[in-house]
Amino acid sequence: MTGLVLQQCVNALTIGAIYALIALGYTMVYGVMRLINFVHGEMFMLGAYVSLGLLLLAGHGAGGAGPLLVAGIMVLVFLIVGGAGVTIERVAYKPLRNSTRLAPMLSALGLSLALQAAVQLVCGPAPITFPSVLPSERLEFAGASMTLTQLGILVLAMLLMGGLQLFVGRSRLGVVVRAVSENARTAALLGINVDRAISLIFLLGPGLGALAGLLYASYYGVMTPTMGVVIGLKAFTAAILGGIGSIPGAMLGGLLLGALEVLGTSLLPIVTHGYLGTEYRDIFAFAALIVVLLFRPSGLLGEQVSEETMVYKSDY
Amino acid sequence: MQTQALPAAAPAARTLRLRGIAILLAAAVLIGLVPYLGSYAIRVVDSVLIYTLLGIGLNLVVGYAGLLDLGFVAFYAVGAYSYALLASPQFGIHLPFLLVLPIGAGLGACFGILLGIPVLRLRGDYLAVVTLGFGEIIRVLLNNADALTNGPQGVIGIDRARVFGIALSRPVDFFWVLLVACLVCGTLVYRLERSLLGQAWAAIREDQDAARGVGINTTRAKLAAFAISAAIGGLAGVIFAAFQRYVSPDSFSLNESILIVLIIVIGGVGNIFGVLLGAVVLVLLPELLREFAAYRMLVLGLVMATLIVLRPQGLLPRNLGPGELLSLLRGRRRGSR
Amino acid sequence: MSFELQNVTKRFGAVAAITDVSIRFEPGQIHAIIGPNGAGKSTLVNMAGGSYAVTAGRILLDGRELQGLKKHEISLAGVARTYQNIRLFDRMSVMENLEVCLYPQRTTCILADVLGLGEAGRREQRLAHCRRLLDRFDLVPFAGVEARNLSYGRQRMLEIARAMVRTPRVLMLDEPAAGLNDAETRDLKQRLRHLRRPDLIVIVIEHDMDLVMSISDHVTVMHRGQVLFAGTPAQVQENPDVREAYLGTEDELDAIRSLAQRRKAERRLRQQAGAV
Repeated sequence: MTGLVLQQCVNALTIGAIYALIALGYTMVYGVMRLINFVHGEMFMLGAYVSLGLLLLAGHGAGGAGPLLVAGIMVLVFLIVGGAGVTIERVAYKPLRNSTRLAPMLSALGLSLALQAAVQLVCGPAPITFPSVLPSERLEFAGASMTLTQLGILVLAMLLMGGLQLFVGRSRLGVVVRAVSENARTAALLGINVDRAISLIFLLGPGLGALAGLLYASYYGVMTPTMGVVIGLKAFTAAILGGIGSIPGAMLGGLLLGALEVLGTSLLPIVTHGYLGTEYRDIFAFAALIVVLLFRPSGLLGEQVSEETMVYKSDY
Repeated sequence: MQTQALPAAAPAARTLRLRGIAILLAAAVLIGLVPYLGSYAIRVVDSVLIYTLLGIGLNLVVGYAGLLDLGFVAFYAVGAYSYALLASPQFGIHLPFLLVLPIGAGLGACFGILLGIPVLRLRGDYLAVVTLGFGEIIRVLLNNADALTNGPQGVIGIDRARVFGIALSRPVDFFWVLLVACLVCGTLVYRLERSLLGQAWAAIREDQDAARGVGINTTRAKLAAFAISAAIGGLAGVIFAAFQRYVSPDSFSLNESILIVLIIVIGGVGNIFGVLLGAVVLVLLPELLREFAAYRMLVLGLVMATLIVLRPQGLLPRNLGPGELLSLLRGRRRGSR
Repeated sequence: MSFELQNVTKRFGAVAAITDVSIRFEPGQIHAIIGPNGAGKSTLVNMAGGSYAVTAGRILLDGRELQGLKKHEISLAGVARTYQNIRLFDRMSVMENLEVCLYPQRTTCILADVLGLGEAGRREQRLAHCRRLLDRFDLVPFAGVEARNLSYGRQRMLEIARAMVRTPRVLMLDEPAAGLNDAETRDLKQRLRHLRRPDLIVIVIEHDMDLVMSISDHVTVMHRGQVLFAGTPAQVQENPDVREAYLGTEDELDAIRSLAQRRKAERRLRQQAGAV
């Protein structure tokens, strides 16, 4: 019994860590620009596709890449997709900074569609197998097993998130980013180059999302052009759950959502005597989103969001 | 823009009136030509009209109340499945088409209110995501509630629609049905926009808090927008199901919701004529560029993003709508109410 | 008729913006609330108008408790306000800004309006009422102009007119003179005086001492979230606590007075030079 529970915990942690990585991108962008970056899911998807492309270039499309190569590819993917994120911000969001609040969202939607279509055109709509980039040995303990891939994902995710938290909390650039997210206009008046700070955020967020895509694809072994849509939504839920705008919140939210999903889908058939099955997995995230937004829109660690702030954004 | 109908402008008024009549005549001629087109062409026109109807519904929420609903396809699905389940061998119920029309619309409205109540206190971006999630929930439910909806296989063999004993079987029959539906809904929505409720929506769009401050119950006003737009979506769904005589969850994906948003964005937010224009563009363009069918989504997505950046209000601005046409017919330039 | 704040407290997290404030407003009077920045004046108005929730205490209009009601309910109860930063419906015309405030509560009315049943007469009544109000504020020539195209001073007038459309019982004006030039301020003073009615309570939050002292019947001075002193304008000006907290010590006052006089003289000279 404990073995089963532990196993579910391991699974929950793994998927939770991936959600957390993606959620970070949402939360960072939202924290600064009060904008839900709909294209973020596509950054996740691009991460997987670009990684495979790089792997193919290196001649390891079927697996067997050494750790050094994998690390190198990770850095490259981070930079490439992060660069794409920066470009997208410059081209599709920056001109709309003074427009209505709906406009950047619609722009993001259009780009999201276009990116999915572009990848579909180039690589075909069918799922493509992704080689595992981490060794597949299993560790057995207390009746549960954990593959090295899962362990790798957990460790990597923790490292990345810790690194981001340190960066934002301690480094000078991090302070700049935080200042801009608090109040961009004042930051600009104080001589901070707001545009550069925003570009940095759009490098980090999508970059992390891309790495999450790489990890996800190597965990599940498959990728499709539309994988970013639903996952993106779930990661957004995670960000809201933990408190949008809060980096520790995104981490907590991701893990929580992973736990919720795994727990829910394993309990659901039992509770409903097999009537409702695991196909309803996706609904958990959406239902959680609605529930959170209804009863505690500030999430777990977010700032207290009064109805004033929620409903009308005032410019100072 | 204040208009004074100057007495000395009687000749100008006549010119304007002529202009308005000319537009109406042109429209009547176009409509009259449709039955003589080939079957395939009529189907295309039908497609344009269905999307126009959907666009009219969504425009209410997006263009007038200013709320971005990304899950609109859910109401379309509700309407379609209501006809599929109430007029097919699925459950052996065979209600007539004209009866299911209001049922579908009513069900749509119920779902609209169901979605609206929890969601309306949220700010724009959150509202968009939650409505998106709602649309997805409906799709997953439809896909998996096999006992009710037959799951991914969908419902086949739906009854042929009969209106006053006449069976609707040819595409041109549905052309007339859709035309009437578009005219009725378009008129309703137009009158809504000009009414006190429409004014309240405009105030909410401008400054929701100030609107509350002057005594407008914003929640009820927005809920009304949701319910009416969902009812129109449900209506469109019933017609769709009667036309295709087959429904499956595939027709109601997130992409469809986004496409309907695209229609409004391209054609012109808050403008019924703009919706028509958007539907024409959305349906005709892929038809004309058939060899480039694979590029359809790519082009549409890029067009959407580019249009938003360069011309966020769409092709037809808000004030070039039916109100303008009516003013022309009355012989005035740009009449205020 | 009475409007009362009873032991009202407002806390934002750990910060107490207003502590145990009690004020009773009388009808037929212009009541000013003054105080240095951060004293809590705007917070009071925001609470009375329903924008902020009350942490403790009661807000009573003729004995009816308003705290906790939704914003539009408070507005319908007869409490109207204007904002520090003008919040008009920018892209609606001047007339529409007023007309939209007459939004009916009963669904049947709205339905009748949409279907066009018996509406013409009622609409004429509404428009006539709005036109009369516009006339009082000299805005009739601008009835069809979009609100955002008005001059700043006229926008302020429109905001006040809009607050008056449903004949409120309490009118709260949040810094109505902010951003107005001398001529517009004089105009505002006149209009505020004409607002005095036996069935209306006017509450003005202001920094312009000249305006406050010349038109208000009663002044409440707030300082650091509490009522420092309340009385007639003359009493307020004499009270030493007020002078120290707000108006400054004698020396500072002298310096300010002479500076103000010098500025006035300079302005007059410039106007004369400009008129030439």
